[in-house]
Amino acid sequence: MASSPIADLTYRNYDGPLDPPVNRWWAIAKMSMRLSTKKKGFWVWASLSTFWYLILLAVFYFAETTATATTALGQGNPFFKNIVWKDQFLNAFSVSQLFMLILALLLGAGTIANDNRANALLVYLSKPCSKLDYVIGKWLGIFVPLTLVAAVPTLLFYVYCLLSYRSYGFLTQDPWLILRLLGMVMLPGFFHASATLGVSSLFQQGRLAGATYSALYFFGLFFTKAMQTVIFVNGPMGGESTAPPIVKSLYYCSIDGIQIGLAKIFLHTDGSQLFPGSMPVGVRFAIEAPSAVVFVPAFFGICGVFMLLAWSRIRAVEVVG
Amino acid sequence: MTIASVHNLVVKYGNFTALNGLSCEIPEGCTGLLGPNGAGKTTLLKTILGFVKPTSGSASILGMDIIQAGNAIRQKVGLMPEQDCHIPGMTAVQFVAYAGELAGMPASQALRRSHEVLDYCGLGEARYRNVETYSTGMKQRIKLAQALVHGPKLLLLDEPTNGLDPAGREDMLELVRSVSHGKGLNVLVSSHLLPDIERVCDRVIVVMKGELRAQGTIKDLKKIAGQPIDIELRDVCPPFVAAMQAQGASVMPPKRTTYRIQMAGLPEETAKIAMQVARDSGAQIRGFILAERSLEDAFLDAITSTSPPVSTQTSDGGNA
Repeated sequence: MASSPIADLTYRNYDGPLDPPVNRWWAIAKMSMRLSTKKKGFWVWASLSTFWYLILLAVFYFAETTATATTALGQGNPFFKNIVWKDQFLNAFSVSQLFMLILALLLGAGTIANDNRANALLVYLSKPCSKLDYVIGKWLGIFVPLTLVAAVPTLLFYVYCLLSYRSYGFLTQDPWLILRLLGMVMLPGFFHASATLGVSSLFQQGRLAGATYSALYFFGLFFTKAMQTVIFVNGPMGGESTAPPIVKSLYYCSIDGIQIGLAKIFLHTDGSQLFPGSMPVGVRFAIEAPSAVVFVPAFFGICGVFMLLAWSRIRAVEVVG
Repeated sequence: MTIASVHNLVVKYGNFTALNGLSCEIPEGCTGLLGPNGAGKTTLLKTILGFVKPTSGSASILGMDIIQAGNAIRQKVGLMPEQDCHIPGMTAVQFVAYAGELAGMPASQALRRSHEVLDYCGLGEARYRNVETYSTGMKQRIKLAQALVHGPKLLLLDEPTNGLDPAGREDMLELVRSVSHGKGLNVLVSSHLLPDIERVCDRVIVVMKGELRAQGTIKDLKKIAGQPIDIELRDVCPPFVAAMQAQGASVMPPKRTTYRIQMAGLPEETAKIAMQVARDSGAQIRGFILAERSLEDAFLDAITSTSPPVSTQTSDGGNA
């Protein structure tokens, strides 16, 4: 179009290398991650999601320094003697759920909805890129950043505890904790990536998809809180609740509940109160871990249904009946 | 050489038959896919790309079967769709480079090539703007750029001048014409706008209700049966008309001073007789041309005709 006395600006066809027309999911995942990490909000909320670990660090630091001054020589710090280390990770995981939801909305709500609005599927599917490539690429584009957000502070805190609290049984309490943690940190990414992809595929606007997913989250959360109330009303403080077992399972029937339940299964713990030592012996605020036989298949089943929903909604042309 | 061949292709959307046993050959060069709205043009393009599965029939693009080699075909084909389409949240250069990566280009090559193609499509100055802020004309250009970036062997253009103002339309047609002539790129332009097709294409395929109605070079389709000639005289000359009729010619009423004359035999023979008659009758011939109809007439004739599809001989002798 432009004319220049020097350059030859007429069209020349590309005759350079082309990769075989398979596995385009990686290009899609890379671009999704690139776009995600360009958002300022991603970094803000990712930083905020670490706040519980920062609080733990502060509490541990002060508990150690104050106890050193007051505890007699040769006696262990009572704060750390009673601590269940893996429960600290579980608590941090539970507290970060809201931040993970916000990040999931930021990265995932518009991922297919915005493509639907902009007819981007015509671009994707007119290239050597299958529906499966598209779904896997988009899924990885949400899963990888969310998993990193969950994993980085968890692993840093693990290393800190390993270096500082080995004498308080950090390593001996559960030598396989690191592997359990690696499994746990993948849960939010896995669930949110699948669910937001499914919900997003139903809409043409990211905001609507985000609002719908938030509604699902909060309705589930209210339900969970109702079940929690039923459990505690039926159990005297410190004793076993007389609420029927189904109520204890229903407690985990929400977006964050299923993740926390599965985290308990992975960590082999029922959880405990946020900070040990301040409660009377035998008092129990934690609700026991759900059945792995039911919850592991349920978790992957729900994720699979959302993925299938996304896969079925992806098409380059509107088909009339 | 044939770029694409389609045999008895049937495509149905539920109970609606979009393509009804369509068979055609798309030769090298620039071919127009003509048809009224709803004729099945876009469906044919989408079937070629594997977006829609045919109910029956077969088709091959660049020697590859559309059912078996969907991905390989899409790597060698570029599509400029009718609708606005882009990937949200990207600048033009990112979008076009990403389209190249999706097609299989290494990232560095895709980026270099996207600058080149954007320059070529006249978007060089706007390459760092978000595509969502583009005007309609610019969106048309970016669609062309993303279709061209990976150097396709066949470019499918679906209504490329949709929504463009006259100047934008001129620019787009010029772009299409330049990429489709002498650049090793074959183009299939789908449109219902005859002037656009006539401007950029050498051959056309006319489709109506999912069926082939005519195919061949534009020149051949515009030919009139019996090959009449148009003779322009200086003035209206009844003695000339009478003398020609005496020679056995059929003469149509004049348009201004131009008579359409048809005789048995070759046009050259008719011309020779007309010259002789003009000399004898004192008529002065000002112009002499082989009569042809407009593409619009040829198109209307093809879509209203109930006879089998017209397939004309191409100028290189092959059956198009």
